[in-house]
Amino acid sequence: MSPDRSTDLLKPGVHYLQGAQACAEGALMAGCRVYAGYPITPATEIMEHAAHRLPRVGGRFIQMEDEISSASVLLGASWAGAKAMTATSSPGFSLMQEVISFAIMTETPLVIVDVQRPGPGQGYISTSQEDVMQARWGHHGEGSIIALSPASAQDMFDFTIEAFNLAERWRTPVLVMAEETVAHMRERVVVPPADAIPIVNRTTPQDLGIPPQSYLPYGHAQVPPMAVWGQGYNINHVSLVHHADGNVTRYNPAVHLENVGRIHRKIEDNVDAIARLETRGLDGCRHVLICYGSVSRTGIEAVREAREQRGIPIGFIRLNTLWPFPERRLRDLVPEVDAVFVPEMNLGMMIHPVTEALRDRCRRVVPIPSLGSLHSPGAILARIYEEIP
Amino acid sequence: MKKHPMLKYLKEEAAAGPRLPLILCPGCGAGQVLNYALRAVDAVIQEDGLRKEDFVFISGVGCSSRLASHYLNFDSAWTLHGRALAVATGALLANPKLKIIVFTGDGDAAAIGGNHLIHTCRRNLDLTILCVNNGLYGMTGGQVAPTTPFGVRTVTTPYGNVEDEFDLCRLAQTAGATYVARWSTAHPHQTIKTIQKGIRKNGTAFIEILSQCPVHLKKTPAEMFRQLKKSTVSLKKAAAGRAGSRIPVGEFCDIDKPDWITRYQNVIDRLQSDERTHE
Amino acid sequence: MIRHRRFEIRIAGYGGQGVVTIGKILGTAFSVYGGWNSVNTQSYGPESRGGACRSELVVADGDINYPYVRKADVLVALSQEALDTYVADIRDHAVLLIDPRAVTRLPGTGAFRLVRVPTVEIARQTGDIKCQNTVALGALYALIADMIDEDALLQAIEGNVLPATLGLNRAAFEQGKRYVRSHFAVEK
Repeated sequence: MSPDRSTDLLKPGVHYLQGAQACAEGALMAGCRVYAGYPITPATEIMEHAAHRLPRVGGRFIQMEDEISSASVLLGASWAGAKAMTATSSPGFSLMQEVISFAIMTETPLVIVDVQRPGPGQGYISTSQEDVMQARWGHHGEGSIIALSPASAQDMFDFTIEAFNLAERWRTPVLVMAEETVAHMRERVVVPPADAIPIVNRTTPQDLGIPPQSYLPYGHAQVPPMAVWGQGYNINHVSLVHHADGNVTRYNPAVHLENVGRIHRKIEDNVDAIARLETRGLDGCRHVLICYGSVSRTGIEAVREAREQRGIPIGFIRLNTLWPFPERRLRDLVPEVDAVFVPEMNLGMMIHPVTEALRDRCRRVVPIPSLGSLHSPGAILARIYEEIP
Repeated sequence: MKKHPMLKYLKEEAAAGPRLPLILCPGCGAGQVLNYALRAVDAVIQEDGLRKEDFVFISGVGCSSRLASHYLNFDSAWTLHGRALAVATGALLANPKLKIIVFTGDGDAAAIGGNHLIHTCRRNLDLTILCVNNGLYGMTGGQVAPTTPFGVRTVTTPYGNVEDEFDLCRLAQTAGATYVARWSTAHPHQTIKTIQKGIRKNGTAFIEILSQCPVHLKKTPAEMFRQLKKSTVSLKKAAAGRAGSRIPVGEFCDIDKPDWITRYQNVIDRLQSDERTHE
Repeated sequence: MIRHRRFEIRIAGYGGQGVVTIGKILGTAFSVYGGWNSVNTQSYGPESRGGACRSELVVADGDINYPYVRKADVLVALSQEALDTYVADIRDHAVLLIDPRAVTRLPGTGAFRLVRVPTVEIARQTGDIKCQNTVALGALYALIADMIDEDALLQAIEGNVLPATLGLNRAAFEQGKRYVRSHFAVEK
């Protein structure tokens, strides 16, 4: 790598950035030094900003020939020791699913940003939350994944750093499920001093004093230490079902269950350490609004108005993390309510795990769908007042 | 019994049991390609003083890609069908010091991976592509491939192939690879020397190695070897118009051109010197 | 200007009038130099059927949740289509800043304060009709001068226009500002 010119990172203080720019800057701040991408509206601004900035901090940028190769670049870069990212929109996200599946099985840290737009097909170039199920289930096969849901330009900065930290900590691909609203809005982004930003790097076998001859590429811990190419560890990355030593001969169902089971549990068992939510006004509430992404910004206003203007005791929960889904935490937060409202920029997706979690905690779960545009506070309130006259 | 000299580069035993023998069918050409590749790497390590640690083998999916599927005592990766070159691109961007060798097959490189092959050559990324061409899809049972000649019967062309095949070397050369060569498993010395050259080449080296699949083509390995020797002809003879229907083998091109990393480094250096000028 | 918890500005016209740029400049002025919180959004493309393009700014002291304009405090309409599309979403006593050459049909009812500024004409006189948007910006500034320093806007302009056009844009801003100050009494 070229000398790292971290002095060229964003200076601490208040900046005014598009969400797209904030996302790219967050990546650089987290240590991302390889970016590969392909143009697609409305994610292209992230790539363009990365193209400008990567060489200035001693990193490398490449525009690839499609989304599949863009995502594939991240695998090689990660195995060679770099933090790597790409950003795309919904159609490109579909193309990347095989690579995501592969990254899960090989336990490869990388970050993919999906700036969601409506579908199916070309759909439109406005905003959407229609890929949130695909984030969890779009890759073939088992294995869980981490997906974050930013709601502001500040979040685009902070959550991208968090995405890299999670990827390194849990040896997994991490998805930043952004939306066109958030990517294109321009807002204040407060950048703390570099030494106040926690950065996590993967644990290597050298960190644990494990020499090459005793190293098990998929062993030693629930999150195996990860060797980097070029250091004599003869690490072989393989996505066929494997033993802890990376061997793929001698298939047997027990090995299969152990291999894929561990990868699945690695994320799901640690949901409390990984997932974050925000809550407001839950004390004594009789109803609750559960939302994520930019809809949470409308949701906050709707909830406040409903409380202030009509005295409706409604609380607010924002899912900062979509996956792994914090089912138990949600149940702890919502012991008993009447109505659960779930506004989404789709026809009802996260409402499914919400309903699974809270079915016995409430009388009804009410979807509030919107396709292609952000709900106005009035639109959410209209539905609330319909249910709670 | 004397051990094969290239065994030092393979992982024979693993914690979960022996890794060898290779999964490949007896008589498969890919095993020979592995031998030639390792001998070439060995020579470059000894003669040029390169570090074994810097070598990385990356493969896609298919019989030849199995060569990098956990047998090698090197850093390696057995990646996605058709995407090995994109993965290799990422590794180079992260660590340009890596000496990357890609094992791929004709289907992996020219069908699903065709676009990435074209762009990798165009970019002149510094890596060595060993394309093991057996003219069909072996691992999945013998289907037709972009390199299967017209008229050949395979399991998906049971009445004879209605398509013409790629000339992969011409494709790579046109796309921009700066070192392009073709040999076969029946040309061991030439292949080994060519792979050495490819590794030493600073740029994209595309080396096609015609190989035998005795199982799906239903011939003995010896028969196929004889056929490989008979059906190939030196480039010199081909240029003199004496090829007939034989396949030219040899070096198609060897051009000096800055590789991608060098060009990008120029950008980085220029930016950083501009900044220094303005300080 | 009446100060609300949120102050909402919407600028609309057709693609090419520089609508998005003034939104960016305003946002930068308020948030970077002015110490306010603001969210700047824009839309253009197929949605702008007939050419409508809009840029909006929500300004507040504290957190801004819903990022779009609900009822604009200020609507700057540089085309008839823009006015027709957005005039319904303004607050009572909002300021409606229009270019009278482009916007000839106004709603019959509604309690808004009309400010007519011939932005294209002023831009032409200043040197180039392409700086119509900064004329509009100067005019707008004159109406909200109690919220933001002129210097903040001038710095923001500098960061958002090509260096070769900076002089022209500053002149256009000045002319727009002066036009409003000499033709309209400014309420606080």
